[in-house]
Amino acid sequence: MAKKKARRQPAAAPEAAPDAAQLTAQDHKTLDALREMADGVVDAAGRSRPPHLDIPSRSLSNVRYNKAKRFIEMGRGTNRRELFNLSQAKSYMQTMLVGSGCKQLIQQGKTTSIRGLYYLLKHTIEGTREETFDDQADCDPIIEDVEVTLNALREELHVYASNRGSMVGNVVVNDSGDEIDCSRMGSGGYTIPSIVEPEVIRFVKVEADFVLHVEKDTVWRRFNEDKFWRKHNCILTHGQGQPPRGVRRMLHRLHHEHHLPVYCLLDNDPWGYYIYSVIKQGSINLAYESRRMAIPGARYLGLRSKDFERCSLSPSVTIKLNDNDIKRIKQIRNYPWFENKPAWKKELELMLRNGFKLEVEALISKDISYVTEQYVPARLQDEDFLD
Amino acid sequence: MSTAKSAQSGNGNGQQTPASKNGSADSAAEGQAAQVAGEAGGRRATAQSMAAKQRDISVSEFFAKNRHLLGFDNPRKALLTTVKEAVDNSLDACEEAGLVPEIWVHIEQTRPNRFKVGVQDNGPGIMKKQIPLIFGKLLYGSKFHRLRMSRGQQGIGISAAGMYGMLTTGKPVKIISKVSPRRPAHYYEIQIDTKKNVPEILNGRGDGVDIPPGEEGRKYIAEHEIEWVAEIIAPDGASSEVKSGTRVTIELEARFQRGRGSVDEYLEQTAIANPHVTLHYLDPEGNERTFHRSTTTLPPEPKEIKPHPYGIELGQLVTMLKDAKGETLTQFLTTSFSRVSPSVARNICETAKLSSRAAARRIGREEADKLFHAIQETRILAPATDCITPIGEELLLKGLHHVVPGEFYCAATRPPAVYRGNPFLIEVALAYGGASSAQRVSLDVLKQLLHESDARTLRQFLLNTFDGVGSDGAERIMKEAQIGTRQSPAKLKPSEVQRLLTAMRNVNLSEGQSMQVLRYANRVPLQFKQRDCAITESVINTNWRPYGLSQSRGSLPSGPVSVMVHIASVWVPFTSESKEAIASYPEIQKELRLGLQTVGRKLGMYLRRRNKVKQEGERRNIFLRYLGEVAGAVSQLNGASREELYQQLLEVAKRKTAQADVKLDDRGRPIGEEDEEDFGGNVLIVPPADPGPLPNAAGPQRPAGERTATTQSTQRQLF
Ligand SMILES: Nc1ncnc2c1ncn2[C@@H]1O[C@H](COP(=O)(O)OP(=O)(O)O)[C@@H](O)[C@H]1O
Ligand SMILES: [Mg+2]
Repeated sequence: MAKKKARRQPAAAPEAAPDAAQLTAQDHKTLDALREMADGVVDAAGRSRPPHLDIPSRSLSNVRYNKAKRFIEMGRGTNRRELFNLSQAKSYMQTMLVGSGCKQLIQQGKTTSIRGLYYLLKHTIEGTREETFDDQADCDPIIEDVEVTLNALREELHVYASNRGSMVGNVVVNDSGDEIDCSRMGSGGYTIPSIVEPEVIRFVKVEADFVLHVEKDTVWRRFNEDKFWRKHNCILTHGQGQPPRGVRRMLHRLHHEHHLPVYCLLDNDPWGYYIYSVIKQGSINLAYESRRMAIPGARYLGLRSKDFERCSLSPSVTIKLNDNDIKRIKQIRNYPWFENKPAWKKELELMLRNGFKLEVEALISKDISYVTEQYVPARLQDEDFLD
Repeated sequence: MSTAKSAQSGNGNGQQTPASKNGSADSAAEGQAAQVAGEAGGRRATAQSMAAKQRDISVSEFFAKNRHLLGFDNPRKALLTTVKEAVDNSLDACEEAGLVPEIWVHIEQTRPNRFKVGVQDNGPGIMKKQIPLIFGKLLYGSKFHRLRMSRGQQGIGISAAGMYGMLTTGKPVKIISKVSPRRPAHYYEIQIDTKKNVPEILNGRGDGVDIPPGEEGRKYIAEHEIEWVAEIIAPDGASSEVKSGTRVTIELEARFQRGRGSVDEYLEQTAIANPHVTLHYLDPEGNERTFHRSTTTLPPEPKEIKPHPYGIELGQLVTMLKDAKGETLTQFLTTSFSRVSPSVARNICETAKLSSRAAARRIGREEADKLFHAIQETRILAPATDCITPIGEELLLKGLHHVVPGEFYCAATRPPAVYRGNPFLIEVALAYGGASSAQRVSLDVLKQLLHESDARTLRQFLLNTFDGVGSDGAERIMKEAQIGTRQSPAKLKPSEVQRLLTAMRNVNLSEGQSMQVLRYANRVPLQFKQRDCAITESVINTNWRPYGLSQSRGSLPSGPVSVMVHIASVWVPFTSESKEAIASYPEIQKELRLGLQTVGRKLGMYLRRRNKVKQEGERRNIFLRYLGEVAGAVSQLNGASREELYQQLLEVAKRKTAQADVKLDDRGRPIGEEDEEDFGGNVLIVPPADPGPLPNAAGPQRPAGERTATTQSTQRQLF
């Protein structure tokens, strides 16, 4: 058995030299981390040992709610991923592939979407009819694995998610050198990019008083059309359901760097509660990003379970809770971050008792602009929020 | 001695037929003489009027009314019983005469619902004057009056089959028998006079015909269209003359059907348990199948024994005492029973408080009762068990291997044990796995087989051509292939043939298949009442899960597995006269359990080992598949040599999956590894590449005398 280690060549691989781009200090750091990961394999193989990777675990069991910081943090737990383990062999191989893909991007000074990376790495494994990745869903979690393993942020790997979510309001940003006035973005608004780090986005002028984040773009358009943000001097954002990292990071920066309160207008259903929870405490899957994304000070403005009576809505705009909803409500009730919040407990109880959920659009049954002209202003006026 | 014998007949063969009452012919005439005395008031009948109707019942009449007791319940079973009676007789005769049996079974359809069954052997033949009695009189035989391991018959035997044929078709039984190549053969056509239970000879002016030996006889046989196989053709093509033997031909109303409880099944199972027999079988569809013997050694001749005192019943004891001549009680006990020495006899008498010198004949009812209890209380040596001849593990393996396709076989013969004074012995053999030939066929061969097949329907084609395809399997194949059941095999379109082939490959034939249990008593297969049998009960009660089979509570385990269980005894305890199921005695259950566990453990060992090797092989493939990608990515990341890294990883992979390289020898031991848990003896492992028992193909390599099953209608060597 060969005891000799595979020869290692000097750090800058010659074949990458021709199109090597100007590398930043961060890029060098990331490349080092990637090389270290590969060295582990060579070392193990040289000692005829089966190679493995220890990947920080992104499961519920490895997150905890930090009461002081008031967000979800990732624990120290790791999962071992082994090449010579039947159920892990393929994902081990995929992890190495993603690593090599990121190295190519960094060296060429390019970035790509997670979909782009998927296509970059997808091919048929030699001598088989098996694909390296079957579909994008096969690839995404591996990218997240690499992020946590290397302790590198996604953008540091030169990968971004597709853009989702828009913003309007009294704020001017500089996006990669272009100055953008978000109060002059017409009906569509400024599309929040997936990377919102200071290297890409700088705030030039922030004159708004608060941020109103709504769940869906249909609702967001109502607010934009009614020029709500002008009347109330705020920034209006949406994240098309569960907000992507870019939107969360944008909210985070506005809140922490410019001290703007963040109010959320979401559907009155378990999914809405969950979105709120992600914005406020962070998600289990991306717990390692909580530090720069969670907004413990975010507030829940509506809709509330009591709105059916408070706004005298017609029963025909309610949606019956299904079994899944009920299960989710009970689950949420047990989240540690809802533990000491009697108001939330009451909210959840009431929803269960009601037996129905309400979408924000249900308010249209009162009047098309009821939500922008009465509902939200009244809540803001009364400071009637859930924490 | 004669006293002992008559007593044994009741116990020995368990052949309690109503006919035995009949033997002591009460005078029917007396009954008829007493005339009806006239009407008596409101009474419907008087003793006198009833007496008018009370008369002797002829055995034959009894039979005609009670066919079901003797295995002629329905046309399907009638065919089986007829074949079975004849074949069992042939086997018994050959073994008793010390001849290696060669048996021909021909079944031919003569018109709708009517079949002609001809069974011939190369046995000792039958003396001329005995022939009419054996085949034309019920209750005439040589095996009734003794206690000896033999293929206990259905009671009335071959003459009953002849009578059934006569009653349903009006045709006589035809017998040709020959005791020596130099002596004439005797040819008889016989009917039974059912009233008198006497034979009626129809040919040769009531005297039968003698066919001279040699050329002249051959001519006569040909001219008169008498059926007789004159030559034995060995597997190597050599032919020899049939020097002696018997052929009986019976035409009867019947139905031919394959599957459970069929003639096919009976012959196949008989071949398994009788590896010294060669069976030639020509079925009504014209398929010729030969089960070749795998040994020429006959089973040792079973010894006749006297009954053991523990096995006797009070009633029998009373009868025996009554039949005693002038003996003293001691003499009676020592001569009638086994294991009773004079001192044991004295002990019995003392316990019973009877004089050991009392005349046995004078012992009254009450004293007999005392004697009976004294016997139970006295310590008596267990009976000698050498009167039982097992098939033996080696022959069980051979027999099973050549009839049941599989990859793993094991067998266990338990030491003899005793229940109620009767020695018995349990043997268990097991066959596992083996892909059906349906799954190994190529497209070209399938096309050829379809083209050659004379089966009318596709279903029939699948069933007849391939082993391991049950009717359930055939259904599933046709459903998967989306071809109608009634399709003629020769008329399939090319696209349908392709679909059929794919379906044959894909349908998991062993899935949902439950263990096949083959039951035997004294080498005779038991085909009915499976559910009521102690053997089935023991198989179900055995927990097969630890041995690697799945099994739900209260049912047979599932998987491609067959178990054969043989009980050999001088007196097999059947649950009823029809002799189709074994009664549950604790001693028998215990032996069954131990036997089943022995083969189960070996199966478990084999399956564990096989799975391990298989899994390791699969594992290695998976690892190898990704190694190249990993080496490439790593080399991309840190510039290490891809090739070198790949080689190093390959070494690690090989070491991690070293199990897959282990080849198993034919006993399932990893070659080159000594200290592994051993199967012990009597295990046979057929490597998967082995195409199984093939005719001719193996030719010279096959050890002489091994059994092979050949099927002429299908050419299995093509696979
Ligand atoms: N094929 C045969 N060859 C020689 N003897 C035979 C053959 N068939 C029957 N016999 C003799 O005829 C007897 C009667 O047979 P059967 O009526 O079947 O009763 P059983 O077999 O119960 O004795 C047998 O005991 C045997 O001695
Ligand atoms: Mg018989």
